[in-house]
Amino acid sequence: MYSYIARRLVFGAITVVGVSIMVFVIMRILPGDPLVAIFGPEGFTKLTEEQRAGYMRDLGLSDPLWVQYFSWVKDIAQGNFGRSFFRSENVADMLLRRGPLTAEIALLSVVISWLVGIPVAIVSALKPNTAADSAVRFVSILFLAVPGFWIGMLIVLGLLFWFGYRAPLTGSSFFADPRANLELVIGPAIVLGLGQAAYIARMGRSALLEVIREDYVRTARAKGLNGRLVIAWHALPNALLPVITLSGVLMGLVLAGSIPVERAFATPGLGFAMFIAVSERDIFVMQNLVFLYSVVFVLLNIAIDVAIAFLDPRIRLR
Amino acid sequence: MTAIAQPIAPPSRLRNAWRGFGNLFRRAPLSAFWGVVAALIVAMAVAAPAIAPYPPLKSNFRSMQKPPSEQHWFGTDQIGRDTLSRVIHGSRTSLTVAFGAVLFGTTLGALWGLACGYFGGRFDMASQRVIEFLQSFPDLILAMAIAMALGGGISTVIVAIAITRIPFGGRVIRSVVLSLKEMQYVEAARGIGASHTRMMFRHILPQCVAPYLILATTHLGVAIVIEASLGFLGVGIPPPTPTWGNMLSDALNAGLVPPWWLVLFPGVAITLTVLAFNLLGDGIRDLLDPRLRGSV
Repeated sequence: MYSYIARRLVFGAITVVGVSIMVFVIMRILPGDPLVAIFGPEGFTKLTEEQRAGYMRDLGLSDPLWVQYFSWVKDIAQGNFGRSFFRSENVADMLLRRGPLTAEIALLSVVISWLVGIPVAIVSALKPNTAADSAVRFVSILFLAVPGFWIGMLIVLGLLFWFGYRAPLTGSSFFADPRANLELVIGPAIVLGLGQAAYIARMGRSALLEVIREDYVRTARAKGLNGRLVIAWHALPNALLPVITLSGVLMGLVLAGSIPVERAFATPGLGFAMFIAVSERDIFVMQNLVFLYSVVFVLLNIAIDVAIAFLDPRIRLR
Repeated sequence: MTAIAQPIAPPSRLRNAWRGFGNLFRRAPLSAFWGVVAALIVAMAVAAPAIAPYPPLKSNFRSMQKPPSEQHWFGTDQIGRDTLSRVIHGSRTSLTVAFGAVLFGTTLGALWGLACGYFGGRFDMASQRVIEFLQSFPDLILAMAIAMALGGGISTVIVAIAITRIPFGGRVIRSVVLSLKEMQYVEAARGIGASHTRMMFRHILPQCVAPYLILATTHLGVAIVIEASLGFLGVGIPPPTPTWGNMLSDALNAGLVPPWWLVLFPGVAITLTVLAFNLLGDGIRDLLDPRLRGSV
């Protein structure tokens, strides 16, 4: 058990190093000339030779690549993640200011996805191939197809059109002003939550259908247990294991999905910062944010693997 | 040997395909219906210049940001371009990117998975690590980073999305190959001394076609959503090319209150297209893999 966790952590550390190298290759080596990435092909041709050399020197881009890589790693280790090219803010401050909002959205969306997805999965697994089941399946297939950011735009537009309501534009922490904070977070969380709920309902349904056919469930019924109790106490815990794993994989959907969704809602979170970085072609911010998002994604999945190991006696007692 | 083999030679591929199509209609009318919708969308993309009532880039300064009307069924945008024409032309970009990304990404991944599963050993170990690194990025974020690094353009968007598809193709096909390798007929082929290429392409590859097709149709839908998101975030195909994502992004830039027709129609187009490909994929899966029928 502990060796399993240790192994998982070691692999995680290797993955993080691999991810950092990959991000570096994509953001610094792939564009050919980083100045082209920053200024765009047209802006680049307008720069004079001296300007180019000056920028390259100031940004530390004329160093050998491995020096650049290690100075980036040093920045990360020191916790300041380097500076934005266009703003005076450094990436660490940006994280502290915007990060909590996006984290809240992610957390809330996971809660919503479980609250919606699991009951739906139970209903449709217990009465397979009925009208309710078909309806649920169609709605979940629909939600897999609809882009979240578009739903977000429709919600914003609808609220504005019918109720003249607009969520506050400035960020506020939950502790300072819970109401304003919730107004800011709830929209993106619902959109992202429903998107995940569709996957969870699908997965939960097929997992439950499989578990219900197992011998131990039949035994539980045969010894006279109430049908609901069998589902709640015997079938559900086992069916939930794959759903928990899926929830971890879906974090990728939430982290990435929050970028366009935050743009649609104009939420001042980290996803919006990523959108700004992309539209300003700020490769330094982008490099750090891509790295951070991936590290969070990797760590969350390790945490879920460990949680599964604790929850599943087949792994725990091995 | 040949004398025995002749009478039970499989019927022609074409006839098989037709029979498959007929089966799809009989067994899964819903999927077949959405298959027809998908075909219509593809036809719309191919014939876009003929169908679209106006040229997609032509502005009409007499009718800017007008709601739907007789002349402009879907309204016009802030510089007087016809939304219907732009939605129709948008299907071209969307589908080109989606098919391109799946053709390169899913296929490359599948072939890689085939090699991994077949050869195993160190090559497989190393490949699995690389795939793990690729999968530790959320799809859209990886696509964003690559598209941004390579600069805008349809080919870079295709490459960016294709790279996000590789690990899925690799994983799925690898596991299929791993189980196929243990089959008796593969063992028999090895026993009579078939070469690696013959084993891989003649005996194992045909069995991978079904999972590949299922994966590819689902990936079409995913690729369309990623392309739209990239466009929406401004790292997709640069304007003025009409894409659904660009149109939604333009709508947000139109002012504090985006006009509803500029938001509604491109989104409906995305949803319908993705829905059509997803349900077609479900139908193909039910047809090709009876074990999974009705389970998801």
